[in-house]
Amino acid sequence: MPHLAIDHLTKIYERGKVLALDDVSFSVDKGEFLVLIGLSGSGKSTLLRCINRLIEPTSGRVFLDGTELTALPQRELRRWRRKIGMIFQQFNLVKRSTVLANVLAGRLGYVPTARTLLGRFPREDLERARRALERVGLLEKMFVRADQLSGGQQQRVGIARALMQEPELLLADEPVSALDPATSHSILKYLEQMNRQDGVTVLCALHFLSLARRYGTRIIALKGGRIVFEGSPSEIDDAKFKEIYGEEAEQVEVR
Amino acid sequence: MNWIASLAPRFAAAGRRLSIPLADLLVLAYLWAIGTCFTSFILYGEEAYLLVPWWVMALAVVEGAALWESFGVSLGMRLFGRWLSREDDSSPSLGQRLGYWLSWHLSLPLFPLSFLDHEGQTVAERLTGTVLREPPADAPRGRWYRTSSGWAILLILFLTSGAAFGITKVNLSALIKGAPKTAKFWRSLASPDTSILTLGLKLLLETFFMAMMATVFAVVIAGPVSFLAARNLMRGPLARPVYFVVRAISSLTRSVDAIIWAIIFAVWVGMGSFCGALALWIHSIADLIKLYSEQLESIDPGPLEAVAAAGASRLEVIRYGIIPQIINPYLSFTLYRWDINVRMATVIGVVGGGGIGWRLAAHLRSWQFPEASMLTILVVALVWAIDYVSARLRAKLA
Repeated sequence: MPHLAIDHLTKIYERGKVLALDDVSFSVDKGEFLVLIGLSGSGKSTLLRCINRLIEPTSGRVFLDGTELTALPQRELRRWRRKIGMIFQQFNLVKRSTVLANVLAGRLGYVPTARTLLGRFPREDLERARRALERVGLLEKMFVRADQLSGGQQQRVGIARALMQEPELLLADEPVSALDPATSHSILKYLEQMNRQDGVTVLCALHFLSLARRYGTRIIALKGGRIVFEGSPSEIDDAKFKEIYGEEAEQVEVR
Repeated sequence: MNWIASLAPRFAAAGRRLSIPLADLLVLAYLWAIGTCFTSFILYGEEAYLLVPWWVMALAVVEGAALWESFGVSLGMRLFGRWLSREDDSSPSLGQRLGYWLSWHLSLPLFPLSFLDHEGQTVAERLTGTVLREPPADAPRGRWYRTSSGWAILLILFLTSGAAFGITKVNLSALIKGAPKTAKFWRSLASPDTSILTLGLKLLLETFFMAMMATVFAVVIAGPVSFLAARNLMRGPLARPVYFVVRAISSLTRSVDAIIWAIIFAVWVGMGSFCGALALWIHSIADLIKLYSEQLESIDPGPLEAVAAAGASRLEVIRYGIIPQIINPYLSFTLYRWDINVRMATVIGVVGGGGIGWRLAAHLRSWQFPEASMLTILVVALVWAIDYVSARLRAKLA
């Protein structure tokens, strides 16, 4: 049984009648580092958000470990979301809050609402937050406001927040698009580390093919909401590249 | 059912064609009236809006609009983004423009016909083979002083401010000659009647608590209600109508000035500081709902998404995604409103809201300047202090 199975997923945005995902099916095994590539608007973000149902798909099903996420009621869905970490292109931190508050938000699925509304997290969660921040090298920034950090540091806080969930699956929506090339590698290395050491399955949307080749164990390319390529990184030659990105595209290297 | 759907764009096109001449007629009629007012003030020194028979004015305005729209780009045409051109986007010939001017007079009375026309074209357009459409992308973009509309707007501004001089009966000699009469008031400012200092302080405290009360209880209501007035949070078939109702009620309430509310409550609960506090309270609620909900509408949706993705419940999304983003702006707006309420509380007092304003107005009406000046000094001191405190606190919250 695959870890994650996507079955005929389709998403039509009502406003503007845009077909964002068009009958997408694939599956992911445990421990894979699957990279999604494609132009802006090809459906990468929509696909990732349909998996944890931040966006409700129009039709089709999503299975995680054999459970159909798309059929779960809200309460059950929240329990399953705990296993699915997510990091974002714009980091999505509460900028006015401290780094610690942002990281602790990763535990909201575990701690009862009555406790979290008062802002009281269990002692072991504070310890967990300390370890997560230590891992991404930001322990000394614990009580700094998130908007005081650089872009790369903010994304590391995002990773620490995802670590708090102790996820089995990590969804990464263009995690390095807002960062410079050097920082991009340091962020992706953290994902690679989670993938290899903790056995977290990673689904990562990326812009650059060079990054996809360097980090992905498998690549899926989307174009206009459809899968146009699925295979190992080495299989993408110039012809395939032009098919995915269009005739005018040139390969840009990010080293 | 298809023909019903096709009605909407047809009505939009016809409505726009009706709006253009209406706008031009309004502008020209206003120009004529205000121009007359201005001239009569200069020539005769008195107010008059019509110096010629009304039909002369009507004729001039209608012909003015017809000529303006036929031979130039009128203000209405610019406002609604429609220029006169031929089918191939070229500029109409002089003959076509002449024909358009003549047949323009038919267009208004025969306007209903353009609703039948599938492109909403008027009789004048049909007869002369022209069409009112969006200006071509390469249309000459003259500077404002090269366009008739630019000059029309300049003329409106000039004549309006000129006429305002006459209408408000600006009287410079009275401003200068009358000055000595206030000497008694200024002198008493320097020698206030300190015997009413304790009474004044008591009334000042009353006014201050009036504002305090109004602000605190307005926050209690406006805080939660503002969530119902935020467009981005109120999606869906159930939430949207609630949003519209809350928005409508709060903007209606806000459009009634606090002074009017004070008069209403003076009748309702009787004059006094309770009446004043209620007036400020109602107005503060409506004002804070607007300020708060606009803040809610500008929050970053990213953190909400991130918190929800971690498995947070709806309440937790509000607590950890929304509240941290809005708490400081909310406090800042509350201080700002508190500041306004303290200032308004004095004015409200004058119309029956009690407190120091009521007493001050009474002393002023009976020409008791030393007493009035004592109270004025107290009010100024309070307002200045609150202004300072509020500004300092808000700077900390930024």
